[in-house]
Amino acid sequence: MIAAQHLSRRFGSRTAVNDVTFEVARSEIVALLGPNGAGKTTTLRMLAGLIGPTSGTVAIGGVELTRATGTALRMRIGFLPEAPGLWDRLTVRENLRAYAGLYGLTDADGRIDRALDMLALSDRASTRSAELSKGMRQKVALVRTLLHEPAVLLLDEPTSGLDPEMTRSVRLLLEERRRAGCAILVSTHNLDEAQRLADRVAVLQERLVAIDRPADLRRRLTTGRLIIRLGGDPSPFLDTVRRLVGPTAEIAVERDSLVVHVARPDEQTPALVAALVAARASIMEIRAETAALEDVYLHLVENKGPGDL
Amino acid sequence: MNGNRVRALVKKELLDLARNPTALMPVAILTAFSLLLPFLVAVAIPALTDRGLDRDAGLSRISAAANPPAALSDAARVQFFLFQQFLVLFLLTPITGALVLAAHAVVGEKQARALEPLLATPITTLELLAAKLFGAAIPTFAISFVGLALYAGGILTFGLPGVALAMLNARSLLLVLWVSPAAGLVSLQSAVLISSRVNDPRTAQQWGVLIVAPLSGLVIAHLMGALSFSAPVLVLIGVGLFAVWLVLLLFSVALFDRETILTRWR
Repeated sequence: MIAAQHLSRRFGSRTAVNDVTFEVARSEIVALLGPNGAGKTTTLRMLAGLIGPTSGTVAIGGVELTRATGTALRMRIGFLPEAPGLWDRLTVRENLRAYAGLYGLTDADGRIDRALDMLALSDRASTRSAELSKGMRQKVALVRTLLHEPAVLLLDEPTSGLDPEMTRSVRLLLEERRRAGCAILVSTHNLDEAQRLADRVAVLQERLVAIDRPADLRRRLTTGRLIIRLGGDPSPFLDTVRRLVGPTAEIAVERDSLVVHVARPDEQTPALVAALVAARASIMEIRAETAALEDVYLHLVENKGPGDL
Repeated sequence: MNGNRVRALVKKELLDLARNPTALMPVAILTAFSLLLPFLVAVAIPALTDRGLDRDAGLSRISAAANPPAALSDAARVQFFLFQQFLVLFLLTPITGALVLAAHAVVGEKQARALEPLLATPITTLELLAAKLFGAAIPTFAISFVGLALYAGGILTFGLPGVALAMLNARSLLLVLWVSPAAGLVSLQSAVLISSRVNDPRTAQQWGVLIVAPLSGLVIAHLMGALSFSAPVLVLIGVGLFAVWLVLLLFSVALFDRETILTRWR
């Protein structure tokens, strides 16, 4: 649904985005992560047709985004910029009505009422935008983005400034839009949100450093530690494990678990399990320790690449 | 061009202005000044000093040379001449509107961070600029026409016999209905163009002096009697101004750089 091919953007001598290629399918949410100045906003603006790439192409629904196709394609795109950009002197309803007119929507008031209800904003319809809190303004901006029911959503930090309850409502809303078939690209600094919400995570630092499912990204940065939780005191089984992994391997007892550093998990795990069972250990759980998404992200941006992933 | 999108944005502009009526104060004040000054000079002062307008030899000579209707008395002829000359003051109303309203048209949206979501909609550059122009022109011209209606009513009420009827001539009508709207559109369009190229409203207003200076110069020259335009000349001036406006509109569209507006603040 969204296809970026070799997108690059330079501002004078500075390269903001360098040869980025990725796609977002229908009914998919991709989270765009990256440090400040990584090119996330520039990428979103290019996909929304607000600025043109220095090189590369953008296609929405298979149609290339150009000056000639821009007007028609923007009908299918909902873009939420970083700043809400509401008109201060107008009420919430008046702001939304203006945008309904710009998108040529019929039954504007009906749509506005339904959209406000979805985000629990109905009681604020007659409030002037200047009187809203930061979080409320962000919610109204999100309603504005969704009003014309776009097939593509490009959201620049949609939960910025929102409290946990509002963040959850936004997440539920985006999940509903995904079920409805939207292709959604979300730029965020919130790794927890990216993990909960996104089907895939793209890490950007001028160029696309990595793109994968959150669980797969985490698995790629392994710690090499196996955690075996036993029923009862694990200390008697230390020797059993050491015989298999060697005298120099790191083994630790942590409460009811044995934590073993294994060099070759695929080979050594079955043998460890078999040895412990033979030694009459009650194995409650066995798992490979995976890195937190934060660790993966920091590793990627510091190395500017997959490195040893 | 999609008329619905233009209408939606014009409605928003007018609503915004209705919530901020003080923005129109300079336009209203200037219109009031344009309205009061002629009556002060042509009606109040002669009445208070008990000295008829025809007692001023210079004014009598100039007013006679301006080809007034023969049926007017000497004093009425001078009064008619003064009212006709002061009519050009109403050209200043749209010029002021350009500075106080149109100068904020695009750069005001940028400062409020409202331009980016607006440009992300299907609205084209031509539609955006047309809406910004009409959003400033409608209230400006409305104030101007109210002022003119009051001017006409005042002449009818306080003017000497025959003056009101004499004012209904080709020159007056061309000035009010042809040249003034055309000059207004040129001023407003220039201000919108400047607004789309600068980074703050103050800079836009400072550049707006370039619009004010030549048009104000023409107004003053006309008031002083240094310039006098016949009806055919006014027709041509109007045609020229409308042509300039169309060129400015196309120029505005060509020069409107979405990328620079969104990404640069210098």
